[in-house]
Amino acid sequence: MAPEKIEALTSTRLKTDEMIINMGPQHPATHGVLRLLLTLDGEFVKHVEPVVGHLHRAQEWQGQNRTWFQYQALIDRVDYLSGMFTSWAMARAAEKVDGCQVPLRGEYMRVIVSEMNRITSHLLWLGTYGIDLGAMFGFPFYPFREREKLLDLLEAISGQRMMFNYIRIGGVQSEAPPGWFAKVSEFVKEFPDRVDEYEAILTNNPIFIKRTKGVGILKKQLALDYGVTGPSLRASGVPLDLRKTKPYSVYDRLKFEVPIHEGDGDTFDRYVLRVKEMRESNEILRQCLEQIPGGTADELRERRKACNSCGKADCSNCGGDLMIMAKKQNAGLRIKAGEGFDAIESPRGILGCYIISTGGDTAYRFKWRNPSFCNLAALPDLLIDHPIADIMAIFGSIDVILPDVDR
Amino acid sequence: MFGLVGRAVESLYYVCVGLWTVAKHTGRAPITKEFPDTMPDLPGAFRGRLALAVNPETSEHLCISCRQCERVCPDKCIDITAHKSPETGKLELIDFKIDHGLCMFCGLCTEVCPTTCIINTNDFEMSDYSREALIYDLKKLTLTQDESAHYFSKKYLPIPKPKPKPAPKPAAAAAKPADGVAAPAKPAPPAAKPAEGAAAAKSAPAATDKPAGDAAATKPTAEKKADDSKDSEKEKAAPEPSAAEGKAEPDKTEG
Repeated sequence: MAPEKIEALTSTRLKTDEMIINMGPQHPATHGVLRLLLTLDGEFVKHVEPVVGHLHRAQEWQGQNRTWFQYQALIDRVDYLSGMFTSWAMARAAEKVDGCQVPLRGEYMRVIVSEMNRITSHLLWLGTYGIDLGAMFGFPFYPFREREKLLDLLEAISGQRMMFNYIRIGGVQSEAPPGWFAKVSEFVKEFPDRVDEYEAILTNNPIFIKRTKGVGILKKQLALDYGVTGPSLRASGVPLDLRKTKPYSVYDRLKFEVPIHEGDGDTFDRYVLRVKEMRESNEILRQCLEQIPGGTADELRERRKACNSCGKADCSNCGGDLMIMAKKQNAGLRIKAGEGFDAIESPRGILGCYIISTGGDTAYRFKWRNPSFCNLAALPDLLIDHPIADIMAIFGSIDVILPDVDR
Repeated sequence: MFGLVGRAVESLYYVCVGLWTVAKHTGRAPITKEFPDTMPDLPGAFRGRLALAVNPETSEHLCISCRQCERVCPDKCIDITAHKSPETGKLELIDFKIDHGLCMFCGLCTEVCPTTCIINTNDFEMSDYSREALIYDLKKLTLTQDESAHYFSKKYLPIPKPKPKPAPKPAAAAAKPADGVAAPAKPAPPAAKPAEGAAAAKSAPAATDKPAGDAAATKPTAEKKADDSKDSEKEKAAPEPSAAEGKAEPDKTEG
């Protein structure tokens, strides 16, 4: 609702006593357990206090009390919708400390699986955002159909639908099963048509536009002040995407655009931006499948029949760029002493991991920079002077995942 | 006025576009699968219930009681009972317990296993009436020869080599001909099975009639015997695991 209209509705004529109510912790639309302490003036929000910590699981402490090898399995649970990215952030930080170089094929595999994961994360957001806005019937199943296909592919390569444990320190855990690459390229071909379908249903729908345009405006300066990152920041017009501004892994070899919306930064802009991002991710996937050294896993298996999969570092079929893992992992994995920080661009924003290692098999200190936590900080400013009905439209649009907030 | 009509027409058009997209899907076949009627087609890498494989060719138990899975498990849900055989001086498996109520299905135990004994099966229907029922023992965990062969081919695992021959024993020598009839491909004498070896080593009177029964029987019966004989040697086996746990405890708490 437009601010001037709100001003008119909250005139002294309708003035009532302020009321404090709890929204959550278990609200069906909060995507987890978030408690919002709302101070209401009639229908309109005057003050918001998010109470976080209901899902605190001491992830950092657990990292300091488990071996590197064990913690890798646990870290997917921090942000369960994009587990590849949390694994990747930790792996990159640990590789920086250890000084190990990931083979090129391993890097490409990482980009492929994490871009797939980015699409699944945005698809889930799209479906549940429809629910948040009241599109209860039917619409969520359109994005979930494609998400299911991608999750099946990720399950085939990693073993589980969401708790992948696939990206490891030094590379990725395993080579793709037979026929996997063919299925991915099949998906890449059909996906743009599917996105057209979602857009046909949602983007120009008058009800959707009425609910989202001009609602929850996140100003550029406010977003920068709060440290908001990811699609929410780019929808406000700040071109910050680590894949482009500070290319890591093989992103500098890929041609893609970071969608930036030069609008008000309202809820609708954030929706448009995420849909564009899905298309870009699809484009990245297509390029990766063409560029990956060694080709598909099936081709590589054929080639390796010549040397009987010797696995030697100097073999032209097994070693060099064609490896997926820099060093074989075992339970006693150790990282050299030192400290390091590395950040990657997750579907929700910049995800950073800071590590201090003393050279043992456990970390001395872990620190996570979670995008959801920083994005949530901007929520109170967005909600003020909006009616209760808009709370979920705004909260859903910044795409916060609560386990990532509380860790 | 014209603007209002124009907007109404435009809105109606876009609503119709959306509805047409929905209508296009009414005729096609459903994508969802009705779960109990049609089982999902799971990939080989799927991390389901943990199980212990036997050698798909010789049906000998693959576990060598190295306790790597027990050590690596982040949830400490694996409990192995093993003892050193007084005759061969090698580790023999007595019991293997996995608490599937604690397990988080990370698959780390399957990665560290040197003999690809512990594997994730594709079974995920494990609901039960009590928490105790989720603790699986050696008998419940061990797969049959056919199941092992199925998973070895589905996961593209190399078929393990048979275990080396242990030192010849009087009980084993008696068993040799009978075993050869049952499984001609098997080069090692039946005493290679750790469970049976444990039983043979422990109870001398039982050892004489065991090989004949075991030669014809499949794996589970051998395991049952190991279970039966387990009680008698519990006292003997008890000190070892507790000592190992005591060793593991300091690294866990110190960090």
